[in-house]
Amino acid sequence: MHLIQRMKVWKELRRLERRVREEPAPNTFVDLGQVFINLEMHDKAEQCATDGLALFPKSSELRELRECARRGLRQRRAAALRARVTRSPNQKDYRDLAQLLIEIGDSASLHAVCQEWSLRFPADAGCWLVLGQTKLVNFYRDLAAREGHEAARCLQRAVRMQPADPQARRLLGELMYRIGAVAAAQRQFRELQALNAEDREVAALLRHVASLSDHGDDLAGLFADVETHGSLRHPPMAPTSPSGDERPLAGVRDGLAQVAELPGVTKAAFIRGAKALVKGAIRDGKDSFLRASRVVARAAHRFARKVDIGSASKTIVEGPFGRICVCAYGDALAAALCDARADATQVMAELQEIVAGALAVTEE
Amino acid sequence: MSRIHEALTDLRAVSGVKGAAVLTQDGLVAAASLDNADSAETLAGIASWLLMTTVKILRDGGMGGMHRLVVQATHGKAVLIDLQESCLVVMLDQFTDVDQAAAEIDEAALRIRRASRVR
Repeated sequence: MHLIQRMKVWKELRRLERRVREEPAPNTFVDLGQVFINLEMHDKAEQCATDGLALFPKSSELRELRECARRGLRQRRAAALRARVTRSPNQKDYRDLAQLLIEIGDSASLHAVCQEWSLRFPADAGCWLVLGQTKLVNFYRDLAAREGHEAARCLQRAVRMQPADPQARRLLGELMYRIGAVAAAQRQFRELQALNAEDREVAALLRHVASLSDHGDDLAGLFADVETHGSLRHPPMAPTSPSGDERPLAGVRDGLAQVAELPGVTKAAFIRGAKALVKGAIRDGKDSFLRASRVVARAAHRFARKVDIGSASKTIVEGPFGRICVCAYGDALAAALCDARADATQVMAELQEIVAGALAVTEE
Repeated sequence: MSRIHEALTDLRAVSGVKGAAVLTQDGLVAAASLDNADSAETLAGIASWLLMTTVKILRDGGMGGMHRLVVQATHGKAVLIDLQESCLVVMLDQFTDVDQAAAEIDEAALRIRRASRVR
């Protein structure tokens, strides 16, 4: 950038900074932050977004700006770490770099770094744990058998290499009981208990797992079942204070009642994790509408990611049964089964309200 | 140019349509009109998987099959139409109203069905 261009940019920056002071609004902060990002001054952009959020805490544009600035900062830090591990490789830097790449969401670079890490430090189980965690996140999000299998393989390798490391063993045990391999999970948790007999969480996990039914040790078959059914076999251990979890569900109940009253809607449901709230003739968790909603939402999400159109939030399936409208954000999902009389746009808007409401209360 | 390809090219001219493809049940591309030829294979694989997964879960639950599936995502939309022995996939940008484009998509689906029968 030559001198005249540089002067123009600084002049523009001063103008935007004055505008932010004189007319504070989300868009003025965003405009200023955008210029900082274009100049690769991500720290200033983050500061700008933080100042803006102090005044406008609910602004989604400012949150996006802050996220973008933080991503830029992480990328810069990752580049510095990358250069450092090339110059003088050490395990701590590899671990930090891998963590940064997870936060950035750059899975291709993460794989390359883990590969290099395992080649340079073959005795360090850290790279397998990091890879396992990444695959695990993907598996819990998409319920894709391949990801689950990879996660189990990486975690098993980490456990074999460092049997005394509790983290890999705990993650492996949790994954196993969630898919139905309860006996195998119990073995992992008993090993954990042997490592630290005073760990209350492990004791609670063992109690929780003891009440679940075992479906064998065939992990490939169990992962395939999870993918087919679109849900994990067993719920996670309940949090210690369930009362806080009830609060968002009150709003969801009202929302579902409203959806069920719309013309043409026969069934409505809200699903989050292993919990489901329903309206209409739904007998149990195996109801075909509930299962279809869960599977379709996950499949649509995976499809959208693969074809690079972002994350799927709304899906409509039409067939001889009528229409299934699904609205999903994160792990929360609302769905309705409707006939030809229903206005899909209106139903979808109501479903979106339910999901957004549930997420907003949880965030608070 | 085959009639199927003609139908896809016409559909591609509709505002907001970024690409369209006809896929066989086993995930092969029968015809496509997409910007990137390489993306046709990816689209075919994942779209036929989505279709199969959806149809299977609906049939298992005694709900019959599906006619149409609409996916709305952050950066785009997709419409999948079951054509019995094949499937029409239409990719749209995120600003397009699917209901407004539905007439053109349905017409293209009808033309493809007819062309498949003639062959």
